[in-house]
Formats: sequence, C-alpha cells, structure tokens
Amino acid sequence: MANPDLTQRSHDALENTVLQGALKAATTTFIERRRDAITSIADWEGLRQRARQVKEHTINNLDFYLEQVVQKVEGHGGKVFWARTGDDVSRYIIELAHARGVKSVVKSKSMATEEIELNHALEAAGVRPIETDLGEYIIQLAQEKPSHIIVPAIHKTRGQIADLFEEKLREGRPNEVAEITAMARKRLRHEFLSAEMGITGANFLIAETGTVVLVENEGNIRLSTQVPKIHVAVVGIEKVIPRFDDLSVFLRLLPRSGTGQKQTAYVSFLNGPRQAAPESAFEFHLVLMDNGRTRILADEQMRESLYCIRCGACLNVCPVYQKIGGQAYGWIYPGPIGAVISPQLQSLGQSGDLPFASSLCGACRTACPVDINLPDLLLALRARAKESGAGRKLSESIAMRSVAFAAKRPRLFAFAGKVMRSFARLLSRDEKIKSVPFPPLSGWTRYRDLPAPQSSSFRARWKKHLDE
Amino acid sequence: MSKANPTVNQNGVLDNVRRALGRSSTVPPIPLDPFIEPSAKTDIGELVERFTEEATAVRARVYYMSDKLQLVAGDGEQSGTERIDKLKLVGQVGARVAEICRSVGATEVALSDSALIAEMNLQEQLGTQGFSIFIPDAVSSAHEQTAARLAKCDVGLTAADYAIAETGTIVLSSDEPNALLVSLLPAVHIALVRSSQIAASLDEVISKIGKERIGRLDSSPSVTLITGPSRTSDVELVLSIGVHGPKELHVIVIDWWHS
Repeated sequence: MANPDLTQRSHDALENTVLQGALKAATTTFIERRRDAITSIADWEGLRQRARQVKEHTINNLDFYLEQVVQKVEGHGGKVFWARTGDDVSRYIIELAHARGVKSVVKSKSMATEEIELNHALEAAGVRPIETDLGEYIIQLAQEKPSHIIVPAIHKTRGQIADLFEEKLREGRPNEVAEITAMARKRLRHEFLSAEMGITGANFLIAETGTVVLVENEGNIRLSTQVPKIHVAVVGIEKVIPRFDDLSVFLRLLPRSGTGQKQTAYVSFLNGPRQAAPESAFEFHLVLMDNGRTRILADEQMRESLYCIRCGACLNVCPVYQKIGGQAYGWIYPGPIGAVISPQLQSLGQSGDLPFASSLCGACRTACPVDINLPDLLLALRARAKESGAGRKLSESIAMRSVAFAAKRPRLFAFAGKVMRSFARLLSRDEKIKSVPFPPLSGWTRYRDLPAPQSSSFRARWKKHLDE
Repeated sequence: MSKANPTVNQNGVLDNVRRALGRSSTVPPIPLDPFIEPSAKTDIGELVERFTEEATAVRARVYYMSDKLQLVAGDGEQSGTERIDKLKLVGQVGARVAEICRSVGATEVALSDSALIAEMNLQEQLGTQGFSIFIPDAVSSAHEQTAARLAKCDVGLTAADYAIAETGTIVLSSDEPNALLVSLLPAVHIALVRSSQIAASLDEVISKIGKERIGRLDSSPSVTLITGPSRTSDVELVLSIGVHGPKELHVIVIDWWHS
C-alpha cells in the first residue's frame, strides 16, 4: 500500500487498551443517542432525501449561489476573500491580524482551519491562537490532532485530561469532569475578553441572505463571534445552501445525527459585522476556501462527497473506526468520509490507502443524513489507487493474472483446484486452517482462521447431484 | 492587508468552480420547490405545555405566569391557580425574577433594552429589591468595557423574539441592542417570552426569520436559537452544564391579555 503507516497506526491503536475502551463507550453511546433522536422525526428518510436533493442542487449550481453569497455579505458590510489554497487563507488572516494589531485569536472548532493547519501559520507569524471548544482546547494543550469530528478528544480519559490540566495549567488537579469544565471555563473566559479576533468555520452559508450559520453546545462560538470586534469565518465553498427556508431540514438532521440531540444548545445566524455603519469598529470577514474542492467538483463520480455536513455519524457506525479510532487515519478527517475525502483533498499518493480501511458493510451510507453513497465512492477510489499504481504490488498482480489465465481454461482450472484443495487439506486441522507458514497467506492466518475447503469441488458435487 | 476587491473572483476560484461544472459563465438555476412541513394548528395552551416539557428536558427551568391563573412548572415547586389582575401579574413576574436572582446569590443584574422588560417594570422592581442594575449602552465604542462589565454581572435578563415548542428553544436577536451579550456573558440567563410568541415548529420560526432578513441589506441583525444552558460532552461523553455560556437558563412564559 501507498503508505505503510496505516497498518502500523492501526496496530498501535488496537494495542492501546485505553483507546479501545474509550472508542467502544463513545461509539456505542453515539449510536444509541442517534437512534433515539431520529424517532422524533416522522419521516426521517424523506428528510434525508430532501437534504440530499438540496445539496445536489446547490453543488450543481455552486457558481450561482457563491456569487449570491458574496453580493449579500458585501451588501451587509462584510468583506469576502476567495482562497484557492490553505496558504491563501493563512496569508489573508495573518495580514489582517498584523494590520489590526491582533495579538491573540479565539478559535472555535473548525475542520476547515484544522485542514489547513492555520494554527501553525498564526503561531509562526506571532499571533497566538487559542482553541476554545473544550475538546479542541484539550487537543491543543496535548499538541495532538483531533480523533473525532464532533468530539475531538474522544480518545482521552478524564484521568489523562486531569493530568494534562495539572501539568499545563498549574492550578491543581481537577478530579471530576465538572471540575475540568470549570477550569477550562475560567481560563478561556479571560481569553475571550482579551482576544482581538475570533475565528470560526461555518456549518451552513445561506446564499439568499448571506448568513453564516453556526451550530454548537458550549457557547464558545457565540463568544468568539460576539466579543472580539473582528470575526473571520473560514468556510469551504461547499457549505452553501440556497435559502433560509432550506435550513430547517439541515437543522433537524445535523444535531440528531451528530450528538443525538433534537437541537443543540445554540444556533447562531450571523449577517456580517454587528453594526454595518461605515465608521463601525466591528468587522466581518468571510474567507471562501477552495483547497481542493473544485477538483472534487470537477469529478462527477466523486462530486457527492461535497454533500457532507460533517456530522460524524458515519464514524460512529463504522466497524473500522470503532476499532482504530480517528488518529490512525493519519489526517484530520477520519472514518468512512475521511477515507473518501482525504485522498481527494490530499492525493492518492498521500492517503490512497485509506479507502482500503473499510469492510464495505454499508452502515455509513445508512447513517449518512444526506445519503452519500460512501461504499461506492470507497470502491471507486480503490480502483483508482490500483490504476494509478499507488497501491499496486507485483505479487498481487502476478496472482491476479494467474487466476485469470486458469479461469479461461476449464481443465486447467479443475486441475489447479484439485491440487490446491489437497494442499489446503494437508494444512488444516478440525476443518480449519489455523496457520500457514509462508506469505502471503501467513498474513491472513496470523489473525484469523481460514475454513478448510471441502474435499471435492462444487462442480463435482453438482454433477453428482444431477446424476442422483 | 489585501486590497478590498469588489469583484467576486480573487485567485480564480469562481473560474475553477465554473470550469468544474463545465461552463464558462453562471447559469441561474430553476429554484427547488419549497419544503416546509405543514404544522398542525395547536392552541396556545398546548404549545406552552410542549415548550415547557422540551425545555425542561434540556435542563432549562420554565415558569408560566398569566393574568388569568398562575402555574408553576419545571422546577418541582407546588402548582396552584388563582385569579389575578394585570398589575398583580407585573408584580408577580418581578417577584419571580427577584427570587431566581436571590437563589443564585446575585448582586448585579444586567437587563437588555426590551419592551417586555419595560412593560414588566423590572428595572424598578429589581432596584427596589436591592439589586444593582446594569443596562448596557447600545453604542459600540464602549464594546470592550461593556463585555467586561457583563462578564461580572451575575444574571442577564432578556426578552425572546420567539420560542419553539418542539425543541424547547427560545430565539433572541440583536434587534434588541446587546441582548445577545446579556444572554451570554452572565452565569445565569433569564428570558421572558410572551405565550403568543411560541411557535409549534422550527420550520415556522426559520421561515419567519428568513422573511425578516431578506431584503434587509442596510442592517445586519444576528439571531441566536437557545435550547437549554451551555453544555458539553467532550470529556468521556459525560454531560457537563455551563462550559462557556450560562450555567442556568430560566424562561418565564407570560400570558397576558394584550400579548
């Protein structure tokens, strides 16, 4: 495979008993909460299909709706910046911060800014970024990467977090979860009141009104957008929806799919700077980010991966994510959706092994609130990885050619089958092959048993059946 | 600082979008048919009941106060009914607010500039009960000082524009100066809402907000939906209340004849 690290990272995750316990508890709880929450919607399937239809329509007319967004936001007195790359985003924000004398920035959880590693760029430019979502704050203190889209520090226990707070904050060791929360509240309250700029992402961007919609539970997004005078929203171009009236479909789907809530504690609708008068000290900047999205848009087969609303439901139900967790995926987007978008936003060479980390069971598609056909996208990406040579192996290629050669020659096929059957039965005990001493089969039997083959072929038995 | 560019196409992103869609200029689409779920007509009593049930489930405390009868719900106190007049209602709302403030040991209470709060004469009532009152200035020049001062207030009192019964949500907007900050920075938030402002569903309220926003390019009000107090489950998925926003949310539903 292109990146041998995935295997190693998965091994590490499987051997980490703390992580295994945390993953099991978290994914089980999320699945139960989601299941309960969707029962409050009479026609969940209808809602999903409507959401998909809205996304499909918007993505297929993205140029029109983006133009509308820009016109509305500028009309409200906001500034719009188009960023082709992550570097464009960072450069714009750093220039703005320097021009306004910004020393510290409060940030709310945003996958877009994680994607472009904005924090590194800000730090390098002498601007201090402070993550304010509790989970992100923990991750920032620990200098790690998030392991879940909704709960970034899901891989950490309260004991580990207590140790981390004791070491980094030097205010004693918080014993309860409530004490951890209180300690973070106190620290971050001070940061909110002194930061000169707030940076957020957006869950939705309404074209008709130029409104940024932000969904959250903690209140850190409200504080980041309402307290500092400058608010910068970094938004992937795929986040647009056409009208205000289209929003309620998504506000019903997102919290139920993500956390199993009917509604999150807060949903904010922001329309440009708080006071639009020209002399106003308030500023609103909308950064519309491409960073590989137009490449996905141009690819009709993959286009629907842009429908994702980042709810995290596909992670929780995925048997692979349940075992290896988010960090093993190697980048910031984990789970089935991560396995689909990471190789596209990065490259097949960088993360082309991710589509292979799936059992193709289809649970992700069933859970997806916009019905993205994740299994088909994963299969297509596997095929591309093989075609591009990124995931091709000589031995695999020889084996496949040999099978193809034999399959076209019935007598050879029957003979080869007979030889292999006899050979396999030699290796089996109690109708199972428990260990093969040579590769590549030893790779399989290291972790699982292989059922022993029948003593005669299906064709032989079928023939016998017809004769009887 | 990059120069303000009035064109909509810095860095060629929009060109790339069009190219990806296989065209060289934008083609306006045929809009999708609207999709608003029809909501069953419900009477105010049912809406109040549903709102109370849902808001209580997410740990808000709801009090229903009427000039016809008085019920206490959501906080486990005894309920009772009695006929009261309008002046008495104003007094009772004041007493209820004062009681909540005392229960959290408040000394300073922030009030947003709202018609309903004025109508309930709360500035005077709370003042005579010994609370110091802070009403933030609508002027932006004092923004930092306002925020710092509000963070020191114990209670923030606002009036909601709407409420949503199906999720126990209240809706605040910046049409009311500083309401969003008053509802956010103090550790306890008390919101007043008229029973007639409770809508059955999210769709209804979204549709109303949308209509108010469209075509209002001169002003840019923000709106926030609030459902229960601030919360997080970021540590081991254990629910923890009051992480960055208010630790308590009290909603007083006022049902009086000219509401």
